[in-house]
Formats: sequence, structure tokens, C-alpha cells
Amino acid sequence: MEWSIGESGVRYTAKLSDSEGTLSLGALTRDGHEAPHSEIGITRDSQGARLLVEIDGSAHIAHVAKVGDDWWIHINGRIHVVHGHEPGSADSAAGEGGLTAPMPGTILEVHAKAGQRVREGQTLLVMEAMKMEHRIQAPKAGEVLSVNFAEGERVDMGATLVELGD
Amino acid sequence: MIPDWMTSASRQFDTVLVANRGEIAVRVLRAAKESGLRGVAVYSDPDTGSLHVENADQAVHLPGTTLADTYLNADAIIEAARSTGAQAIHPGFGFLSERADFANAVKAAGLIWIGPPADAINTMGDKISARRCMIESGVPVIPGEEISMGGDSDHLGVLAAAAARVGYPLLLKASAGGGGKGMRAVHEPKMLRTEYEAAAREATAAFGDGTVYVERLLKGARHVEIQVLADSNGNCIHLNERDCSLQRRHQKVIEEAPSPAVTPTIREAMGDAAVQAAKAVDYEGAGTVEFLLSDRGEFFFLEMNTRLQVEHPVTEMITGIDIVQKQFEVAAGLPLGLSQSDIGIIGHAMEARIYAEDPSKGFLPAIGDLAMWRAPAGPGIRVDTGVREGDAVTVDFDPMLAKLIVHAPTRTAAARRLDNALSDLRALGVITNIGFLRQMTTHPDFISGGITTDYLDSRDVSDFAEPEPDPATLVAIAAAASRFGLDRAGSGLSESFVDEHTGHSGDPFRTLSRSFP
Repeated sequence: MEWSIGESGVRYTAKLSDSEGTLSLGALTRDGHEAPHSEIGITRDSQGARLLVEIDGSAHIAHVAKVGDDWWIHINGRIHVVHGHEPGSADSAAGEGGLTAPMPGTILEVHAKAGQRVREGQTLLVMEAMKMEHRIQAPKAGEVLSVNFAEGERVDMGATLVELGD
Repeated sequence: MIPDWMTSASRQFDTVLVANRGEIAVRVLRAAKESGLRGVAVYSDPDTGSLHVENADQAVHLPGTTLADTYLNADAIIEAARSTGAQAIHPGFGFLSERADFANAVKAAGLIWIGPPADAINTMGDKISARRCMIESGVPVIPGEEISMGGDSDHLGVLAAAAARVGYPLLLKASAGGGGKGMRAVHEPKMLRTEYEAAAREATAAFGDGTVYVERLLKGARHVEIQVLADSNGNCIHLNERDCSLQRRHQKVIEEAPSPAVTPTIREAMGDAAVQAAKAVDYEGAGTVEFLLSDRGEFFFLEMNTRLQVEHPVTEMITGIDIVQKQFEVAAGLPLGLSQSDIGIIGHAMEARIYAEDPSKGFLPAIGDLAMWRAPAGPGIRVDTGVREGDAVTVDFDPMLAKLIVHAPTRTAAARRLDNALSDLRALGVITNIGFLRQMTTHPDFISGGITTDYLDSRDVSDFAEPEPDPATLVAIAAAASRFGLDRAGSGLSESFVDEHTGHSGDPFRTLSRSFP
């Protein structure tokens, strides 16, 4: 399994060795290269969603929950999301051509048309979701390949709104 | 059965219907129970089995898919009161709470309205009449005027002329707006058209009214509001101020009491002005008079909220007064039983609003299932929430999940307690603003108490980015959790903990998470 953290596209793998119920981190790779790491040993707690995590000799408690392919982790007062990826699967993170609807909602304004060149940060669409307006902006400069919705249309979460090429 | 405290009251009731949902419905239903009253909830389809239904003695389903069919359906709600024997209706905040026609309909049905007189709602609900009323009663107001956007006339021309008279920078507000919706700051004339169109659209989408109010935007001001309580015998007092200066796009983020910017002299003058404002509209019950406080110590009336306020708990913490209980007493016709000299300030309280939203994506509302929801507890910590572990967070309603309130002897101690309580709040499965709130409560600008209402909007959210985690630890935990098969154990709870009635997983003996001062 490959892992990525939060919004970062960096892929990690972890090699764990089992010794009497404690899993120790033997090796960590970062985008395919061996990376340095602390000494980490993890034991299952009697309470199902809790792990005992020893980092360089000091003990911490992590609370975890699995949602889809993601592990949600609460440790040391912070909440993190670690995404699981099948090895070799394509990176679905931003930076690809498609701009998707972050929430279900309604398209209010269309400011781009196919063939138009746009600059980074330019507003392409304005949509309304949960009674607030959200601007859909170009993540990079490029040419608009297609605009898939018109003003007033309802869109589902994840719908591709605009295709952006180089 | 009429509770003991009500036996001498002129308007008695033993059952309250709460015409709301989420955390405020839970708050009012629990207060009813504590006051010896029966609580009736109403709920729409997405709220079947929700926490507010669980906290009611009886619950009435409101059929339909839109808010107009359900939580805004005055007829259905009054009918629900009738069918369950509820003699009183508490509207909470939002929804029907500031609708004078609803207040009148409740009374016309022979029921007790737990709120102010309809005339007070009307006068204060319209920004222009509120302003006129305040000027007449000697309460200071900000320069501004209302624009009537009638029909197909040259409304932009009218607006531009009014804007020039008021002066830039200015604030555009939809007369019927609220909660930051339909409100836009305009810093220069060339932005007027764009911002007007956005404000009008938001207001129409949310409230069905496109009228606009233009007001001078005071830079570097604080939002300070006074909680008032009035009874039906003409007594009116205030419970000191709350400071709600930390806002993002006019949506409050952290509130506190007392305000670090208010001196005893300002407190007395502002308190007097608030009582004056309430008396000017023959107010009854709990209300809030909002002011802008300039860096020179001048204050101006913003608006009066004729209802319970989201941030009422911080006032309860520092005064020891249960405001919802007081609302019940006033509605029953009882005197306040408090005079101004009884009201003190004990320590310092802060409230952080926990939203399902993603600060790294422009605070976009987030959805999902709360795979884990464990609220913090301890001395001086109060959590008012409408959600439980396993609940779904959807786009149907407001993204506020809970309010985390702390109370401590000093402001510094309260800020530390808030940060610590936030770090203990384990909300997994839905992206929240908890990390952002922690950065905020520990930020030197917040600690120093110098935050003004334009603070957050003038800064980049990356200023409040959380510290970078150690990837090795997180990846090792994810890999180990998978190896241990924790994903197959659901949220870590065994099958036997799934409640067969609600389908919720969780400890059936878990304590309710709200503790009261």
C-alpha cells in the first residue's frame, strides 16, 4: 500500500516488522526513495480505535478511524488524514486538467468559454453551495478545453465543471 | 404538571415545543427538562434519529423536503404543538425566531410565544426602522442609509449616489439578511456593482428579499454586544458584554466575555444604551444589542437580535445565569427577580465554533460521516452540540457542529484552556476548523486581545497553518492500523454497541456531553 498525507501528493511506503504484537517501522520510502525516520513502535490498545505509539522512546496515544481508503488519525492534539493508494495507481490530486465541483450546488456565473486562455487564479465559474458563493478558479494558466455546465444548472459534488489544458 | 417555580405565574405551561434543530434545539430541550417541563421536538426527514429528537420527550415529524415544508412551516409547527399539548413554543435562533408573523400566529393559536413581542421583532428586524427608533431614543448609530431597489429603475445609479453620501469604505447589507449572508464590503466605487449583485443574490437565495442597506464601514473596530433580559413588568437589565471581533466574512469564529477592550466606564455606558434600546421597543425576554466599538472608545448601534444568540453560553459562564431558564420564566409572566446590581463578572469565558469546513480550501463546507466524535470534558469545559459519533454531516443544514465553551479565572487561562480542550476534541471523518482554531487561540494577536473585526479577512489563511506533521509517524500509524485490521472493526467499536433503535454505534452509557456552570 502507498500512502499520502493531506493535500500533499508525495507517496510513502512503510515496512513494518512484527515482534510480539508490536509493529516497528523498519523502512520508509518517500516517492520511491529510502527516507530517514524516527524509531517508531506501535501496539494495539485494548480499546479498538486506539493505538499506543512509541516515538524515539516516548509514548503517545493515537485514535484512528477508517473512512473509505483514508485513515483519520488524532495524535498529540492534531487531526490528520492519511490516504491509502493501491501501488502504482494514478495520482488523483489537483494539478490534473479537470476542475470539479467541491460541493453539490448551482452554477451562478460562467466566466470562461472553450478555447479561451486563462491565467492562474482567474475565476472561471461562480457557484452557490450551502447558501454561500464559491469561486472556481484556474489552478494554473492554460487553455479552457470545455465548460460543461451553464448558468442555473445544478451540479453534483465531484462533477467536472471545466477541462483545462496547457 | 406545572413545575413548582411556575405556580405563582400568570401564564402557566408544562410543555414546550422547540421549533428548531441541531445544537440549539438540544440546548433548549435540555433546559426544559432541567426546569421540570416536557420538551417536544419537531424534525424533518434528514433529522430522523438526531440528537435533538433523542433529547425530547416527544417528537413530531414534519413531512416534506424543503425548509419551507419543515422548519419554516409555521402552520405545521403550530399544529404539532396543538397535537402534543404543548402550550408554549421556543423558536431557538435562525429559522422562525425573528419572524413577527410567526410570533403573532403562535399567540393567535392561544399558545405562549417564548420570545419578544412581534412589534419589537418588526422594528428591530428592519434595519431602517431600527435605526430610526435608536436615533429617537438617543442610542448612537453609524452613518448610513437604505436603498429601495424598486422594479426596473436605475437602481445602480441610486445606489452609487447613496454610497457617495455615506462614504467609502462601506458595507452593503440586504435588509432581510443575517449571519453574514447578503453582506459585502466595498472598498472603492468601481467594485460597487459586482459586490451589490453578489449581495442581492445571496440575500434572495437565503431570505427572499433583495433590499439593500448602505453603511459606512468602520475600520479597526470591534464587535461588542450586550445581552439584555427584560420581563413583562417593565424590568430590563443587561448581563454585560460579549466580544465577537474575531470574524471571517462576518461569521463569528471565537466569542468571549468580558471584552478585553471594554473598560468599566464603557461597559456602563454601553449597558445603559442597550437597556435603552430594549425599552424603546418594549422588549421582553432575552435579546442582544450589537455595537461597533471604535479604537477611540466610541460605540455605535449595529442591530438588535430579538432572540437567543449562538454565543449566549459565554455570558452564562461569567454571570452564572441560565438565559434559557430566564426565557421560560419571562414567558410565564414572572418577574426577572434580578436587578442590575446583582449582575457581576466571574472570570473569563470563550467560545469556539466548531464548523465542518476546510480552512485550506477557503473554508468550504465539508461533509461526511463522523466516524469518531469524542468531546473534551473537565473543569470549566462545556460543549453544546447537536451531533454524535456516527452522525452524517450533510449539505442540508448549517455546517456548525458544536460550540466549545471554556471558563477560567483569567483571559490568559481561558485561552489556554480553550486550546487544550480543542486539542482533546477528536472529530474524525469530517474535515473541521479545529486545527485552525488552535492556531488562532495560540496566536500572539489573539493572546494580546487586540483583534478587530477586519483581522481575519485581511490575512492569509496560511498565517494560521498547522505545524507540519512527521510523515513517518502518520504513515506508520496508518500501515499499522491496517495490519491490525482496525478498519474491519468499524470505528473500533464491537457490534454489540450498535443501538438497535437508532442504528448508532457508541457506548450506550455515554454521558451527555454538556455540563452547566
